[in-house]
Amino acid sequence: MTYNPETKMVGEGVKFERIRRITGYLVGTVDRFNDGKRAEERDRVKHTPVGQ
Amino acid sequence: MLTSIIKRDGRVVIYDRNKIKMAILKAMEASGSTDFDKADQVTEAVESHFNNQNMKNTPTVEEIQDQVEHELMASGLDNVAKRYILYRASRNTIRERKSKLVKVFDEITFSDALDSDVKRENANIDGDTPMGAMLKYGSESAKDYFLKFLLSPDQAEAHREGYIHIHDFDFYALTMTCCQIDLIKLFKGGFSTGHGFLREPNDIQSYSALACIAIQSNQNDQHGGQSIVNFDYALADGVRKTYKKLYLKNIAKVCDVLGEKVSYDQLKEISAAITEKCGAMPKITPDETYVALELEELKKLVKDPAVAEKAQQFALTRTEEETDKATYQAMEAFIHNLNTMHSRAGAQTPFSSINYGMDTSDEGRMVMKNVMLATDAGLGHGETPIFPIQIFRVKEGINYNPGERNYDLFQLAIKVSAKRLFPNFSFQDAPYNLKYYNPDDVRTEIGYMGCRTRVVANTYDPNNEITYGRGNLSFTSINLPRLAIEAKGDEDLFYRNLKKYIDLCVKQLMDRFAIQKKKRVRNFPFLMGQGVWIDSDKLDIDDEVGEVIKHGTLSVGFIGLAETLTALYGKHHGESEEAQKKGLEIIGFMRRILDEYSERYKLNFSLLATPAEGLSGRFVRIDKKRFGEIKGVTDKEYYTNSFHIPVAYEISAYDKINLEAPYHALTNAGHITYVELDGDVSQNLEAFEAVVRCMKEAGIGYGAINHPVDRDPVCGYNGIIGDVCPRCGRRDCEGVPLEKLQRLGLYKHLNAATLGQCGNQLEEADRIPNRI
Ligand SMILES: [Zn+2]
Repeated sequence: MTYNPETKMVGEGVKFERIRRITGYLVGTVDRFNDGKRAEERDRVKHTPVGQ
Repeated sequence: MLTSIIKRDGRVVIYDRNKIKMAILKAMEASGSTDFDKADQVTEAVESHFNNQNMKNTPTVEEIQDQVEHELMASGLDNVAKRYILYRASRNTIRERKSKLVKVFDEITFSDALDSDVKRENANIDGDTPMGAMLKYGSESAKDYFLKFLLSPDQAEAHREGYIHIHDFDFYALTMTCCQIDLIKLFKGGFSTGHGFLREPNDIQSYSALACIAIQSNQNDQHGGQSIVNFDYALADGVRKTYKKLYLKNIAKVCDVLGEKVSYDQLKEISAAITEKCGAMPKITPDETYVALELEELKKLVKDPAVAEKAQQFALTRTEEETDKATYQAMEAFIHNLNTMHSRAGAQTPFSSINYGMDTSDEGRMVMKNVMLATDAGLGHGETPIFPIQIFRVKEGINYNPGERNYDLFQLAIKVSAKRLFPNFSFQDAPYNLKYYNPDDVRTEIGYMGCRTRVVANTYDPNNEITYGRGNLSFTSINLPRLAIEAKGDEDLFYRNLKKYIDLCVKQLMDRFAIQKKKRVRNFPFLMGQGVWIDSDKLDIDDEVGEVIKHGTLSVGFIGLAETLTALYGKHHGESEEAQKKGLEIIGFMRRILDEYSERYKLNFSLLATPAEGLSGRFVRIDKKRFGEIKGVTDKEYYTNSFHIPVAYEISAYDKINLEAPYHALTNAGHITYVELDGDVSQNLEAFEAVVRCMKEAGIGYGAINHPVDRDPVCGYNGIIGDVCPRCGRRDCEGVPLEKLQRLGLYKHLNAATLGQCGNQLEEADRIPNRI
């Protein structure tokens, strides 16, 4: 884990992991996806749950 | 005076009149009339043209060639001119293609994966590592070669122009896609990986380890993901062996403590003899006959008969819990291994999937419970496991309704999936899955591989309509929106072209099949050499695999039904009932043609709801360039996945499921429906379950629910993170004061002096408290 002794701060520059499913597989970050897949993930809207 | 010329790459070289003359002579030869004098005259005419121009600029190769064409025609040598033009054109294509490959190589060599679509094509290969880059060079050159030399001109053109997409093209002439691995058959008597022989595993730990090795080994023989079709039934055998071992050890232990000398080996012998006699062995639900016979034998071994009773009682009460623990550890190791192992030149984590859900034995249930609990707990620091894809088979009478034997496991599957995104759900009762199901033959249970592939029907061999040991050979997808755009509202034209491209795909799949057929068992040391693929155990190492791979499927896929309907009829199937009717007509049309081909060739042609993969952006990029931005068609960076309702379209889960379900029945090569839920669904399992049940009732074959799953590596928080982490309060990429983390009970053993710059084990262990 990154630690900066001067500011006594931990985790500078460390990203949150956001697990998403893209073309069926899970990924920790969308950075490694090609542009079409990233855009598809960005555009998704949520669906109203069943029975509501 | 013509003394020098500029080459294509910009270099200036000395003019050589022989080069012009040779080119003209070649063209003359091709047209069947070589005339040296005429060639000389034309060459001189070209030179004098440039000399007369009193040129300030040195001419380029292209300008010189233009002039040669001009002079040939001026001299009445029309046929020669034609040949010369053709020759020029063909040289240009070769040169252009060569440079395209070079450009790709440049990209692999010099650009970072973050900026390179080539490197990010398969998100599971790290294109920035040396091995990953090496794979890319190989893959790109292979594609170039196959395109130029193995495809017929019409296939090459259709692929290049983006009418069709031949998947896994870099493996075109090398192997097949995937196989549903039957571990029970594989483990029987042990197997060889090509790097040594592994004995038949004899406890749950080794079952788990060998399951990983099987996935890894097969990954090297095929280009697709690897799937275990019977994870529950197969690993249950490992639980049985572990139970028996621990049971006998417990008896030995108690005897030892109570001063009797009875060895484990003695007990093993006794047990084997009893099993021989009555067919039963020690197991979670004890067999009364076995227990009685065993007690008799134990009493003969000990001085004090009470010790025999005590020892057996102890073993009967304690062994289940110990076995359960061992099974959990084995499942934990299995998941951990699949997320860290590498294969294919060390650059790719194998794509793996496992199917389970319907084994009702105590042991199978123990496997399923623990693989899900291990998934729920996550990896070392609570990370969500990326692999394997887990698929829970839902079946009425077995796990769907309260009171059914595996209903508890179905409930657990819902809970785990609501936290970890896996398992997905497959539905055995969907009519097109149920029709193959024979309760007396587990090999007829439905299987899904990875992101959706499904193989069960068998036109080649109707006696083997099973999932075990079979898989997809190859697949090619059609760019449906392109055909719709080009039809300009003319439905007949659309269907005519659709038929044309299905025929073309079938022809191409057959050509590829002809190459695959000629491979020999030795080309697939694991898949065929170890009998993983159905009937391959009947072949010798030098036999061709042609016959046995006929059990596999040849699939035609499609992408962008929503955009297709919009282009043809103005609306997609989420927006209008009429469009839904038209959508089903289109997909039904495709399926019918493929069924006809199956019958005609006695091969398994099937229709795939293509998972987009690398082509989600490719098709639309080409089409946007060609046709401009068409609203609802080419105005995004991707075409919608197969028959899905567009992801950006507002719709209820219920409607989406019911609109997509009928397409599952048509896409026999595989399909999946996704529902996106908002918020922390792990706090609302009823809503989650309602979606799964809705899928089942609607006739979905395979489905999954997406929801946000975030994690902060700094404090270990798992859940939904908006802009700010709910536990430590930091924003993305921000630091947190060490002192604040320590107040939260994190990093408590550490201070500024011991906190590693890039992580040390103590500090990491300190971050585990995930169960809040
Ligand atoms: Zn945090």
